[in-house]
Amino acid sequence: MKAMILAAGKGTRGRPITHVVPKPMIPLLGKPVMESIIEQLRDSGFDEIVVNTSHLASVIQDYFRDGSHFGVQIAYSFEGQIVDGELQGEALGSAGGMKKIQDFSGFFDGTFVVLCGDGLADVDFREAVRFHRERGAMATIILRDVPRAEVFRYGVVATDASGKITQFQEKPPVEQAVSTKINTGIYIFEPSVFDHIPSGRLFDIGGELFPALVKLGAPLYGIELPFQWVDIGSIADYWEASRLAVSGVIRGYQLPGHEVTPGVHVGINVSWNRDRTKVRGPVLIGGSCAIGDGATIEGPSVIGAGCVIEPGALVRECILADYTRVSSVARLERLLVFGSQCILPTGEHFGIAEAGVGWVVADARARPEFAPEQEELLQLAREIAD
Amino acid sequence: MRFEEYKTGEVLVAKVLDGRIAADVAPRLKAHLAEYVSQGNHAIVLDLGAVTFIDSSGLGALVSSLKSIGKEGDLVISSAQGAVASMFKLTRMDKVFRMYATTDEAVAALSVTPVP
Repeated sequence: MKAMILAAGKGTRGRPITHVVPKPMIPLLGKPVMESIIEQLRDSGFDEIVVNTSHLASVIQDYFRDGSHFGVQIAYSFEGQIVDGELQGEALGSAGGMKKIQDFSGFFDGTFVVLCGDGLADVDFREAVRFHRERGAMATIILRDVPRAEVFRYGVVATDASGKITQFQEKPPVEQAVSTKINTGIYIFEPSVFDHIPSGRLFDIGGELFPALVKLGAPLYGIELPFQWVDIGSIADYWEASRLAVSGVIRGYQLPGHEVTPGVHVGINVSWNRDRTKVRGPVLIGGSCAIGDGATIEGPSVIGAGCVIEPGALVRECILADYTRVSSVARLERLLVFGSQCILPTGEHFGIAEAGVGWVVADARARPEFAPEQEELLQLAREIAD
Repeated sequence: MRFEEYKTGEVLVAKVLDGRIAADVAPRLKAHLAEYVSQGNHAIVLDLGAVTFIDSSGLGALVSSLKSIGKEGDLVISSAQGAVASMFKLTRMDKVFRMYATTDEAVAALSVTPVP
C-alpha cells in the first residue's frame, strides 16, 4: 500500500531546534521521529512512501535516501526551487502537496494513508483501513479525545452514530467547539479526494479540504481508536516526549544501549568510572560520551552521543544534543541544549555564544575560549562548586 | 539604561526596565549601582522581572557591584525568570547572590533589622 508523509512544514513552533533540523528529523533518544513513523508504516504494510519536503529538505533526503535500508521505497516531492544556487522552500500546504504528487505521476491509485512527520502514534492502520472501506469513505480521519481546554489547538469534529463527520471546525475557541474529538493529522484517503483539491496552489487539509467535504456532504468519516499519541510539534511537546521516551513509557519505543543499572541506559565506548559518578535514572547516555568523576546526572535526562560531562558537573533533567560539553562548574537544570542554544521547556532560549556562556556549556569539539570577564565568573563559579 | 526606582523604608528597589542586559549596557548598570551606594543606599533590591536576556558581561557587572558593596550593604536579586533565572543557575551565580522570587519577598528579607 501507499502512504505519504507530510514533512514540508517550517516547524515554527519547534524553533530554535527547527532552524537546524526539520521537525520530522528531531531526534527522540537520538532517532529521528520520522524513522519511527516509517518503521510503523512498513510494519503495517505500507511500503511505497512519498515524502513532501521543503524546509531543510536535504536533511530528510540525505538520511532516508531511497528507503531501501528501512525496508521501504521512498521518493520525495520537493516543494520549492533553486534560486541563485540556493534551495528555497515553497510549501504548498498539506493538501496542495498531495495534489502535486498526484498531478505529477498519478501515484495514488488506491486507498492510501497521509500523516504528519512530527508525531508518533501507534495507530492500528489495518483496523482504520477496514473501517474506512466498510463505510465507503472518501476520507477518514483518525480522531482522538482531548481535554476541552486543549481543543483550540486542533481541528475539532462532530460525528453521527456511523462515524460520518457532520461538522469540522479548524482551531475553534474552546466555548464554540462542537466536541472534544480532534483531528490527529492521520488520514486515510481514496484517490477520488483529488477531485476536491485544486492544483498548483496552497491548500490545507484541515483548514480547507475537510470543511469543503463536510459542506458537500461527502463521505468523510472519523474513527476513534485507542492509541498512544506522542506529538513533538512544539518545544514543550518535544520536551515531554523525550522525558516519556527515556522513562520507557512510550509503548514499543526501544531505549538504545545497555541498561547498566535500572533506568540507566548507556551506549558503547563510554568513558566513565561508574563508582565515582552519581547517575540517577531514567537516563540515556549516548555512545562515546565522557563522564568525569564526581559528575551528577539526574533523570529524566538524555545525554547525546559524544558529550563530555566534566568532573563535578551537575546535569538535572536535561536533554543534551550530541557533542555537548558541560563544564565542571555548570549546573544544568531543566534545559535542552541543541544547535548552540540553551532552550527552556517553554521554548524560551538564548544562544550560548550570544550569552557568553561557552565556559559553562559548549560544543565538545570546540576549543574553549573566554573573554576576561568570563574568566572571572568561571573562577567564582569554581570556588562555589568546590 | 532605564530604571524604575523607589524606596520602601531603608530598602531601595531598582527595577531594570530594559529587556536585555548585555555588554553594551553592563558598564552603565555597574555605574548605576555604584551611584546608589554612594547616595547612601545600603540595601538594594535589583528587580529583573522585565529582563528577558542577560549575558555573562551583565552577570559580571552584577558580581563586581556585589563585591564593591561588600560588607557595607546588601544587593539582592528579585523576580528573575525564564532565561534570566536559567543563566544565574547555569553559572552557579544563584549561589553568589541572594535571589528572591518576588520583590516583596526581597524587600521583606532586607527590612529585617539586623541583630546587634
